[in-house]
Amino acid sequence: MALSPFGSRSPSMTVHSPNTAIRLRATAAQNSITGPAAAAVAKPVQNGDRELTEQLNIDIRERYVKDKKVGEGTYAVVYVGHLRHDPSSLVAIKKIKVNAEYKDGLAMDAVREVKYLQELKHPNVIALHDVFSSKDQNLSLVLEFLPGGDLEMLIKDSDIHYGVADIKAWMGMLARGVWWCHENFVLHRDIKPNNLLIASDGEVKLADFGLARSFADPLFNMTHQVITRWYRPPELLYGARQYSGAVDVWSMGMVFAELLLRVPFVAGNTDLDQTSKICEAFGTPTEENWPGVSKLPYYIPTDKAHLVPLQGRDFFMRQFPTAGPVGADLLMSMCALDPRKRSTAVQCLRHNWWTIEPRPTKNEDLPRKSGGTKKMGDDLTRRVGELDEGMFNSAARQLDFGMK
Amino acid sequence: MIEDDIYRASSQYRLWSYTEPSLQFLRATTNAVASERVRAALHRSRETHQSTASSAAGTPLPESNTDTKNKDVECLTPEEELVLVRYYCEKTLELGETYKPPIPTMVRATAIQYLRRFYLTNSPMTYHPKSIMACALFVATKTDNYYISLRQFADGIPGDTKTEDVIAPEFLLMQGLRFTFDVRHPFRGLEGGVMELQAIAEGQGQPAPHLPYETAEDLQQGLLSIAPPPVPSSSMSDRIARAHGTTRELLKSAAQMTDAYFLYTPSQIWFSAFLLADRPLAEFLLDVKLGGPVTATIPAPETDENGLVNPLYEIRFKLHHVLTECSALLQSYTPLSSDPAQMKSLKRIAKKLYHCQNPEKVNLAATKRESTQPSSAVQSDTGIVNSESETERLAKKRKLEQGQAVRQDDDVFGPELVTQRTK
Repeated sequence: MALSPFGSRSPSMTVHSPNTAIRLRATAAQNSITGPAAAAVAKPVQNGDRELTEQLNIDIRERYVKDKKVGEGTYAVVYVGHLRHDPSSLVAIKKIKVNAEYKDGLAMDAVREVKYLQELKHPNVIALHDVFSSKDQNLSLVLEFLPGGDLEMLIKDSDIHYGVADIKAWMGMLARGVWWCHENFVLHRDIKPNNLLIASDGEVKLADFGLARSFADPLFNMTHQVITRWYRPPELLYGARQYSGAVDVWSMGMVFAELLLRVPFVAGNTDLDQTSKICEAFGTPTEENWPGVSKLPYYIPTDKAHLVPLQGRDFFMRQFPTAGPVGADLLMSMCALDPRKRSTAVQCLRHNWWTIEPRPTKNEDLPRKSGGTKKMGDDLTRRVGELDEGMFNSAARQLDFGMK
Repeated sequence: MIEDDIYRASSQYRLWSYTEPSLQFLRATTNAVASERVRAALHRSRETHQSTASSAAGTPLPESNTDTKNKDVECLTPEEELVLVRYYCEKTLELGETYKPPIPTMVRATAIQYLRRFYLTNSPMTYHPKSIMACALFVATKTDNYYISLRQFADGIPGDTKTEDVIAPEFLLMQGLRFTFDVRHPFRGLEGGVMELQAIAEGQGQPAPHLPYETAEDLQQGLLSIAPPPVPSSSMSDRIARAHGTTRELLKSAAQMTDAYFLYTPSQIWFSAFLLADRPLAEFLLDVKLGGPVTATIPAPETDENGLVNPLYEIRFKLHHVLTECSALLQSYTPLSSDPAQMKSLKRIAKKLYHCQNPEKVNLAATKRESTQPSSAVQSDTGIVNSESETERLAKKRKLEQGQAVRQDDDVFGPELVTQRTK
């Protein structure tokens, strides 16, 4: 129950984020009691032809300078830019393209991304500094500049060597980011290595909230057409319409496995193939190990002869020797087939793997790679839920945004 | 990290929480700026009109016209603007009800808060709430996971509404919302409180962490010995269900139509409504959570053996004041449509608005076309001479349309958006 007896009546505007800070500096000037919106109004209108909110928007827009284009996709164009008054303060400006075929106003992925990034301020979630619109009614998101590339880049680069201490550092940052989302009742629904961007100081940031949504109320349906296939949990492959943060935890487990193996652990070519690869790897879901599974819409019963028994700890230890027995135990808890038995984000964070040797690598000592700016451009322009693998062309899949 | 810290990170707290004086100041400023701009715009449009008229006729202007020119336009006051916005908030609730199935309460509540937030920095004289309200409801379906296609949405609006008219103010609205779409509602908190009370009634209650000596039986006994409800009920679970229903209604109406969201947190709002529904029950829950009760108006210096004041008592005392104020605010609400005096005043305000509507902002759909397709800004398909400015053309068109609307139906709002259901 959200009982909030503190700080009741007059939330005097304390500065919480760079976002607010910038707004306050630019628009507020003197009046700190009345809040930024009031202060914006109190400021004399410079241009008589503009409405107040328009003027506020222009003020925000003019605070930034676009330097160069670093990526272009079907959904967005990304520029590197900086604060006008401080050329050393770099930002990424993601300009959402207007989709001519979508007549219903601002696209759903942009709506979701803006909605959730405005609420989630955390060191392991990409920061949204500002949002503004241009004259042609295009939306621009001013995002934290993350030049370190993404985890996918590091996994794939055979010139880069990393060990279990590095994985522990990266996974810790991922788990904290996911925990923060869930603590705020937000499901990310597209966790995968190329949505995990790296800041110049080595910090991992959860990005791309184009598929995110808040937890549904009990008994309300959600779409099962989310999360890029290789990272999608079995309940979604079986068409579950009611699910929890456990879907993100599965994806986290898949990222963990991929970091250890340096190849995707279960990489299906189709949704059906993905399901069978999961069964082969972890065991076949049955009413015994997952009560209720047979009621899910796309559940396919397996005949007795082909049943794979549920894998135990020894399987994980054998498959992922680098993780060590404690690390394998954590991974196993993230990969429980039955979402009710899967660890929650907070349970993952309480696991003792984090505290045993080796300690996680310090950010400044983590392996890194150049060329990250271009990668950030690509990552931020990709459509949600897409794989950008050349070798799996069939993977790109149309998502159902209808939600109904 | 406590829940309060999380709430304080929300955009609802950062951008949309005010004190009463700051809220009043903001509305007064918005009104003053808009009034000035409306006067200037009306002045401009008259001058253009007169110059075209006089050049066409080649004669001096009739006396009456000069009079109107010099007469200052009477603009809406901030209070009048607020009444108007509130009326359209009530209409939003009704509009959501007309869909099959009805749009969920939470989505409608989000749309209402969008309207209220938008009109903190925009005036109904600039943008008529009638044109913003449908868009607010549509945007809420997108942001609150109840997306219906624009076509389907527009079809659901009684009367002839084009998709283009619904979507035209979307960008404007989002800009007014400062691109924050999340609204934190009191509904879920209420569900949690009710579930907790039900558990206590069934002897399954959990004591608060600072009161470990309490047992589930103590809690159950405590609940059964509270003062009787305002309306007699057959059993405790019946009583809880009744209070639940009354509170929900208050959250759906009074909490939406007043400034509650700007002034209080979601949990304060639902607790205040719960107090109005069944005071002994609500106070029992507060006792369970914080210890108490608060009896005197001055906090009793309840000290422990070390001479320290119980911090929970202080919190409880502070909370008591906040909840009393919020309850009073919720109680002050009566729906416009059920109050003939308020309806009469609303009609007067609407007539006044007709004369002080900013003519340059009327046709949002056309303005949008203009700004997104600059090449087609000068359209001749309307048969209007191109030398005439687009603005003036729109002003004329609007006047024509409004004139027709008034003639068709004496209601200054045009035909009712929602026809009265006969039941």
